[in-house]
Amino acid sequence: MSATATIEAHKDSVTPAAQPQAYHIEAKGLNKAFGKVKALEDINFGIRNQEFVSVLGPSGCGKSTLLRIIAGLIPYESGAATVKGEAIHSPRPDIGVVFQTNNMLPWFTVRKNVELGARIRKMPAQARDQAVDKVLEVLSLSKFADAYPHQLSGGMRQRASIGQALVLDPPILLMDEPFGALDALTRDKLNVELLRIWQEHRKTVMLITHSIAEAVFLSDRVLVMADRPGKIIEEVVIDLPRPRDAAATRALPQFGEYVAYLGKIMGVTS
Amino acid sequence: MSGVSPRLVAYAQVVLFFGAFLLFWEYGVRYFEVKKYILPPISAILVAIWESRGQIFEHSMYTLAEVLIGFIAAVVVGIIIGMIVYVSPFAQRTIYPLVTALQTTPKSALAPLMIVWFGYGFVSKVAMAFLFAFFPIVVATLGGFAGTAKNLEEHFRALNAGPWTTFTTLRLPSALPAFIDGCRVAMPLAMIGAIIGELVGSDRGLGNLIMLGTASSRTDLVFGCIIVITLISLVLYALIEFAAKSVWWRGIQV
Repeated sequence: MSATATIEAHKDSVTPAAQPQAYHIEAKGLNKAFGKVKALEDINFGIRNQEFVSVLGPSGCGKSTLLRIIAGLIPYESGAATVKGEAIHSPRPDIGVVFQTNNMLPWFTVRKNVELGARIRKMPAQARDQAVDKVLEVLSLSKFADAYPHQLSGGMRQRASIGQALVLDPPILLMDEPFGALDALTRDKLNVELLRIWQEHRKTVMLITHSIAEAVFLSDRVLVMADRPGKIIEEVVIDLPRPRDAAATRALPQFGEYVAYLGKIMGVTS
Repeated sequence: MSGVSPRLVAYAQVVLFFGAFLLFWEYGVRYFEVKKYILPPISAILVAIWESRGQIFEHSMYTLAEVLIGFIAAVVVGIIIGMIVYVSPFAQRTIYPLVTALQTTPKSALAPLMIVWFGYGFVSKVAMAFLFAFFPIVVATLGGFAGTAKNLEEHFRALNAGPWTTFTTLRLPSALPAFIDGCRVAMPLAMIGAIIGELVGSDRGLGNLIMLGTASSRTDLVFGCIIVITLISLVLYALIEFAAKSVWWRGIQV
């Protein structure tokens, strides 16, 4: 099919080695093992400033491990992993991480939970309050600022989790299946919100997901991983027009073609 | 019957049950002619409490002081040891097994030793209350710290939180429900410890009064003391329950 050919052409035009200095996040020959089990093997990729890249793969392919390495949460064995050219060995203040579990402290209100990162990073009180107000508004949580997490729905808690990362306005956002535990409907809604936030704030995003449609809808590029050992087997540039729109983008014939193409890759490897 | 609320029925059941129990006690001992020094009727016990109220009050305060000081000491030392064991792998290898081993020692067997070490008076009873209350608190505190959710620990790490912030903002609130559970168990145990100490050797306190009552066949007074001890324990337990209400996030998973 011609669509596949177009995708292939794009893939060739963007090789990771093209502009190494422009990469915000980069991995070269990265390896990671847990005991005797190889989790990641020879991982090479780069994410440019303000680029939205999804890492797509089956469960257990090591995509979460990859995110944790980039976040500076776990060490790696060999190869190189850098953020803005600096080797990663611990969590960085310019990276915000959103995990699959909504990490709300049950004894704090939504407001206190969202401002947690700002408090830890010792943001001045006034700037902090302003940042929290803004984030709560962006995520439509202003009305629930004084509610406790257990009083919210799962989707709202996950939105608040994103708020925890956004409040520090980090240039880089790492997201580990942030909507993985939610139902499909809520997930779709939050994807639209995430897209809107990204289109307004333009952050460098690395999104871990196992949803093909989610990856295509949101990303500039999709890295496809296979398991045992985890490695990147494909890189697909998603050349859909921006700004994207929930209904219009999904209705584009190319959207379906990308989804079908990625499905074929993942189907072959699983 | 739709007019009677289920709550009222529930209360009525409780009142009727205990009312029947007390009536059976009062008239059962008379009917079966149980000797007064074996089991006096409940009315005689209440009269004995009333007649000796000054004496009972004085001894109660003495015992209460032993229990409270022993309990508070157990809380303070328990939290400190629990924290040390939690943060230090060395303490985990050495102090923790020691605490576990000592926990299995029957604490009542230590009462004579406490009297040899700390004398006949107040301090040996505080030591007994402490010994009984200490272990549940240490174990609960440790369990509380160890039970801190792993995803939240990782979240704090990703935020670059320092050890002090992580402790005060995450670990302490996480451990509080378990710690309160430990206190729930420890409070009545502190009372048991103090009373055992007094029974083994003392010159004051409710345990001492029980010994005096037994020696002079005043079984009514002995029962009176037992009732007062139980009431004090219940009040102390209620205080813990009240404090537990401030840790409302127990069992809430988000």
